Amino acid sequence: MSALKRVQQWATFARIWHVYDAKWQNPFQSSLLLKKYLMGMHKPIYHPMNDCGDHVIVINSKEIALPGDEWKKRVYFHHTGYPGGATWTLAWELHSKDPTMVIKKAVYNSMDGNLQRRYTMQRLHIFPDENVPEELMKNVSNQIRGIKPVPKRLDHYSEQEVKEFPKIIDYPKDYVLR
Amino acid sequence: MNSLLRIVKNAPNIKNIQARGVSLTTQLNLKEIREVQEGKTLTIYGETVPSPREPYLIKNENPHVCPLCALGMEVKHTDVLILSQFLRSDGCMLPKRITGLCNKQQKKISSLVTMAQKAGLMPNLNPANSKKDPSKRFQWKKYNKYFDESTIDQKKNHKKLIEFS
Repeated sequence: MSALKRVQQWATFARIWHVYDAKWQNPFQSSLLLKKYLMGMHKPIYHPMNDCGDHVIVINSKEIALPGDEWKKRVYFHHTGYPGGATWTLAWELHSKDPTMVIKKAVYNSMDGNLQRRYTMQRLHIFPDENVPEELMKNVSNQIRGIKPVPKRLDHYSEQEVKEFPKIIDYPKDYVLR
Repeated sequence: MNSLLRIVKNAPNIKNIQARGVSLTTQLNLKEIREVQEGKTLTIYGETVPSPREPYLIKNENPHVCPLCALGMEVKHTDVLILSQFLRSDGCMLPKRITGLCNKQQKKISSLVTMAQKAGLMPNLNPANSKKDPSKRFQWKKYNKYFDESTIDQKKNHKKLIEFS
């Protein structure tokens, strides 16, 4: 085996570490993207019996975005098993308790319920902000592109940019500025 | 009654009274209301200012349609630099007689403005008593959200459009 082939062999079966910025991303659309990397479905050698999944570090999970009024419409159900042990938690309540939980459950539910799922989830590392331990971050060699563009707030533009942006309408002559 | 009032308003003799210069300042001008506090006296006066938008205004190539229809753009609720042009400093939508938009666009822009405000994208254009930081809002309102522009219902305007066409 030549040196090139040997390195190719290592690279093929090595676990790659990806980083994904969840800022302003929909966790349910992101989960369909992240599960491919976690299960190794983006690799040509993928097979369900082939343990070739990668690690994914999700940062800024506190700043995920949900469409419309889904924060108060989406409900997470849990039952302790005892009579009267059912609880219904709204998405915003779950998010205020643990900002990593919504995206974790989204990825977990996007995968089939087989024996591999628990082990695949162990390769997902979620952090509510950008503070990732150094020993995890030094492994990262790829960034997964976000699905949605991150919107920019009006107060984050400079005054010059707001002033010099092309204007569609002008005030009428008798207008009193407010 | 309204029509009668309009006739009285448009009557030439009343116009002449106004043109005679009864008011001390020119009324029809772009003004800025300023308040100056000097000791115990508060002076409120209107100062005539040139329009700050004049040099950056896009010329309407087709004067038969409203300025936004003429551009033919697809505005999203995240385009805050466009949406903020139709707002007062307290985040209130300007009325149609000032924006000069057609019925359809005015309604569409006001729904987009609502979306942008709910998403917390224009926190500096808000009433003075509001908390400017969207992350300090109540319960679910403090978390990031986005909207789908295709959910804006334009069927209400559709009927009117048929009547006019």
